[in-house]
Amino acid sequence: MSDTADSRIARRLRRILLLLPYAIKHPGVSLDELARKFEVRKKDLVEDFNLVFFCGLPGYGPGDLIEVAMDDERVYVRMADYFGAPLRLTPAEALALYAGGATLAGTPGMEEADALRRALTKLGKALGATDDDGGDIGIQVKVERDAAGHLEDLTRAVKEAKRVRLEYMSASRGQMTERDVDPWGLITALGHWYLVGWDRSVEDERMFRLDRMKEVVLTDDGVEVPDDFDPERYKGAFLGDAAQDRVTFEISPRAARWFAEYYPIEGSEEMPDGWTKVTLISGGARWAATLLLRLGADARNVSPREVEEEARSLAQEIARRHR
Amino acid sequence: MRRIERLINLVAALLETSRPMTADEIRRSIGGYDEAPNFEAFRRTFERDKESLRNIGIPLEVTTTDVWDDTPDGYIIPKARYYLPDIDFEPDEVAALRIAAEALLGGGEQAEAGLMKLSLDTSSAPWSGPRAVFGADLSVEGTALGALYSAVIERTPVSFQYRPARSDETRERVVDGYGLLHRFGHWYLVGRDRSDDVVKSFKVARIESSPRRIDGSYEVPADFDASQHLLGKSFEIGNEVENATIRFDAAMRWWPEQNMPEAKTREAPAGALDVEVPVGNVDALVSWVLGFGARVELVAPTAAREHLVKHLAPYLDGASS
Repeated sequence: MSDTADSRIARRLRRILLLLPYAIKHPGVSLDELARKFEVRKKDLVEDFNLVFFCGLPGYGPGDLIEVAMDDERVYVRMADYFGAPLRLTPAEALALYAGGATLAGTPGMEEADALRRALTKLGKALGATDDDGGDIGIQVKVERDAAGHLEDLTRAVKEAKRVRLEYMSASRGQMTERDVDPWGLITALGHWYLVGWDRSVEDERMFRLDRMKEVVLTDDGVEVPDDFDPERYKGAFLGDAAQDRVTFEISPRAARWFAEYYPIEGSEEMPDGWTKVTLISGGARWAATLLLRLGADARNVSPREVEEEARSLAQEIARRHR
Repeated sequence: MRRIERLINLVAALLETSRPMTADEIRRSIGGYDEAPNFEAFRRTFERDKESLRNIGIPLEVTTTDVWDDTPDGYIIPKARYYLPDIDFEPDEVAALRIAAEALLGGGEQAEAGLMKLSLDTSSAPWSGPRAVFGADLSVEGTALGALYSAVIERTPVSFQYRPARSDETRERVVDGYGLLHRFGHWYLVGRDRSDDVVKSFKVARIESSPRRIDGSYEVPADFDASQHLLGKSFEIGNEVENATIRFDAAMRWWPEQNMPEAKTREAPAGALDVEVPVGNVDALVSWVLGFGARVELVAPTAAREHLVKHLAPYLDGASS
């Protein structure tokens, strides 16, 4: 309870410490403009300014209090020059902005890359993280490789809303497939680039890894992107779909040391002998079987049964090639 | 008086004061604290308020007020550490940063809050950008990362509990952080380990305690480049590196042709392609090869080939079928 009250107060304090410099720099700014700029309701803004009206410096007399005048929905703030500039970025804010910016600046085919680089250099200098030649920024982001050059074509397809035809190596089926996809967006996560979109052959939403695309062809067919398309849903490069199958198995203490860093575990449970029982969203029986073979003797007690059977038949096939 | 008013009064007074204020002065003069019935109650309130201010990034410092006594008993918010310096952004630069903030998956709120501070002066920039095309999951929301970042840019050594990949032995490290680097979906702190004086990379996900700042300072070598201290593909890492040959069949050869353009290749029977890769860790190589299913064969060395078959044993009925 007190936790949420605390975070509410923190949010409000952050907002007020941002509103004040803006209002001081722009005397007579309208409530409408403030509401748009800070994405706050006008009612909340009025409450904020009414509250600030009772604050100020020790003494708290007429010359010490912050002056707020609201006239015909226009705001004037005086006697608060100490709130004339915003608070510096916190390390977490700077890091997030920097890392996001550096990623996009390094993405092939990004029109805004030049503006982003200029912005990051200025930001770095202001934060004291960049030397005068814009050299060291304390952070580097290695953008995932796109050796085949699919990223530029797909960026164009997403921006122009054009359907694409993919020749695609399917991990869930273990073979090459042809797919007609309505492209919605491009995601970089866990070391790979993915295309997110509507797979017309299965009439469902899918993610496609760019390095598994043998061929990308833009068609002339236009597509409609859902209004509520939100890249945030694809965090971890996983469609957290409740309807999807799950696979459960136990991993050895040795594998448990790194497993969670690479696979999104839904649930885990320690076994009496130190092994860990994990549950994952399955990318299909073939996908799960491949994962099990990679784990080898570090995995046991697989369920469902058909995943284990798939792993056995795949293992036979691979072993035959190696004898 | 409400808590939020008291907090605003506290920030205002500590920003504007010319010398650090003692707790007693704060209690007597800052609006809201006079309501505490006794010093103990004031103490608790003040501790909570300090914590709240620090949590949103307000640099509240504690220093001494008495030249004859080094007990830190005075509070001040230094203007130079509070105010964001003026940055002259062009509208297209703010617009580009906005796209970057929107692309961030996880941590997007932090980026937007930072951007809001930066864009107070560029009221002309359109506030809602075009529809998001990109998403980048950089896992920036980990709590250790912000602390490591501020230590790196302030050149302050940090100590933390670190768990290496190949053992369970977690131990304390003291590191001069030179830079943070994100690659293949993971963050690394690259810096000098003070215990053996070697520059190495630490995976942030394996840092098991909150990083603690250590007294002292250091210089980052002028020619430092974080990416040179990163290890290659996991199967390339090892003490003894030898070449392995991997055969991609006719239907899969496009994969190395497209994704490993600099690898040494050779034509093989039936339209297959042999690719040579340096290998230091056979386990990691086997795992990588198995990821391709049955279309890829580990041709040489023989020992690695046998290792692969042995690795599959739990799924082969009877060890010698």
